[in-house]
Amino acid sequence: MIGTTTNGTAASATAPAAVEVEDLRKTYPGGIEAVKGIDFTVASGEVFGLLGPNGAGKSTTVGMLTTTVTPTGGRARLAGFDVARQPLLARGVSSVVFQDTVVDGSLSGRENLDLHARLWGVPAAPAKQRIGELVDAIGLSELIDRPVSSFSGGQRRRLEIARALVSRPRVLFLDEPTVGLDPRIRHELLDVIAGLRSREEMTIVMTTHYLDEAERLCDRVAIIHLGEIVALDSPRALLAGLGSEILEFRVSGDAPSALVALRAADIAGEDAFAVGARVTVPLHGRAASEALAAIDAEPIRISEIATRVPTLDDVYLNRTGAQLAGVN
Amino acid sequence: MSSTTIAESAPAALAPPRRARRGSALLTLARRRAMLTSRTPRQIAVPLLGPAMLALILAPALKKATGGLHSQIDYTSYVGTGAVGLVIPLSCVFAGLSVLVDRHSGAQRELLAAPIPRGFLVLGNLIVALVLAALQALVVVGLSALRGGVFHITAAGVAWFLGAALLFTVFMYGLAETVASRVTKEEDYVGATPVLAILPFFFAGALFPIAAMPGVLADIAKVMPLTHALALLRYGFIDPSGRGLHDIWGMSNVTTEAWLSLGVVAVFAAALTAIAIRVFSHSVVH
Repeated sequence: MIGTTTNGTAASATAPAAVEVEDLRKTYPGGIEAVKGIDFTVASGEVFGLLGPNGAGKSTTVGMLTTTVTPTGGRARLAGFDVARQPLLARGVSSVVFQDTVVDGSLSGRENLDLHARLWGVPAAPAKQRIGELVDAIGLSELIDRPVSSFSGGQRRRLEIARALVSRPRVLFLDEPTVGLDPRIRHELLDVIAGLRSREEMTIVMTTHYLDEAERLCDRVAIIHLGEIVALDSPRALLAGLGSEILEFRVSGDAPSALVALRAADIAGEDAFAVGARVTVPLHGRAASEALAAIDAEPIRISEIATRVPTLDDVYLNRTGAQLAGVN
Repeated sequence: MSSTTIAESAPAALAPPRRARRGSALLTLARRRAMLTSRTPRQIAVPLLGPAMLALILAPALKKATGGLHSQIDYTSYVGTGAVGLVIPLSCVFAGLSVLVDRHSGAQRELLAAPIPRGFLVLGNLIVALVLAALQALVVVGLSALRGGVFHITAAGVAWFLGAALLFTVFMYGLAETVASRVTKEEDYVGATPVLAILPFFFAGALFPIAAMPGVLADIAKVMPLTHALALLRYGFIDPSGRGLHDIWGMSNVTTEAWLSLGVVAVFAAALTAIAIRVFSHSVVH
């Protein structure tokens, strides 16, 4: 596993893994390799993020884990059940909140929740109690018996999260759970999702291209680029690799050549990178003024100089040379 | 909104994976479809319009204008029964449109994530299609009776009528579901409606005996499940001598002919259901 540290595998050595992925591949007709052999394990109770731009392979990965996409190669297990050989059992231990709204608009919120409970085999009495608890918890008590078509986007998304929880899944998949929502609703939903963390035995696998979601919610993050995992560790560990401060500037002329010169002059290390005309140099404790003074001595013209704290986008750029969409 | 309340709810012990019992899962899916259909009244009323006009207006008018079939069979009830051969296909085609709506609205994805065999999504919808088609067929027959249609109802006749109607509905729904799984746009599906639901009506003996058609068309009619279904519907409700069955098989024993025709419809029903499940299951998994 690329980028895995001693923190990169099961959080608990004794609990069985909730999700196990081994050399998982997906090639679509026409030879399109959406997922090129990825490996990761998610421990029971962990919040695991798949971070990457649109088209990176996140949704295909979740599709394979939720049995709506057939893997071309490799294996995946949910709570020990092989998704290809035991799909019904794998679906029985999981629930999904999809990126797009997938509720029956002409049914009421309660009817949608009840439908999920029945399909997942939750007995009637516990289902009724559970639905009551969840409706109160998500703040939809006054709306729950109205047709879902009358709900706002944020209310529908809350309903979907509640629905996914009705069956007490061991693995909950959240596929871009806040995309398309306004900032206030996003913030509220992130609070709800953060609240799910404390639930014993529930593992959460979420895909996102929002850095703040990944940094705020995830115990570990796998950064996916063009179907491959290019980094996998806790957000803190991934960011620590770039130090506590980075220096960023625009170069007149060829940025990659400037970067080579900076490395030769021992001003930039191997983890410095250039994207377009911008060069990013992790300082690793060095003072920015000292680095700038050293750059001044080189025949390189720079502008738009800034220092800041590194983000997961910088980790992504460092590993791939490309930029994540939806950078906050 | 209290996010902590969710965390404080008593957590489940590590339990085996959940699955609804098969019968319960099917009934749940059928219940869902029934609820959605009941909130879309046009899906119930629209398929009835044309056949109702046939039974109420066209059949009596044709009988008056032409003198009927010049046999002992009452033409009003003949066409009224034939109208059942139109209401069932139209009803099933409308039901198939719901599959496309489910797919495009996204609701289908939630069902695909459920721990149930994917073929159950087809069968759950079929249950509702059967109930709806049966009710609509009885409405059309009732309208025909109101307009003076003559029916000979016996227990055995009801069994033949219902058996034929239900098996033909299974066939038609399988066909509609198969087409719905194959097309991507609702416009394409609607464009297929005349071929699926209306064209066979004119070849299958709905308005006149197939023996009145040129030989090659009559031969084509004999391999269509609608032809066999209509012959059985009439055998059950209006023509105990089974003239329609005799036009197909040419045998001396009408009961044997009836069982053969029922077998034909049953084979088509089973085949199209299997095809529908297979096509659907392949279409929803990439």
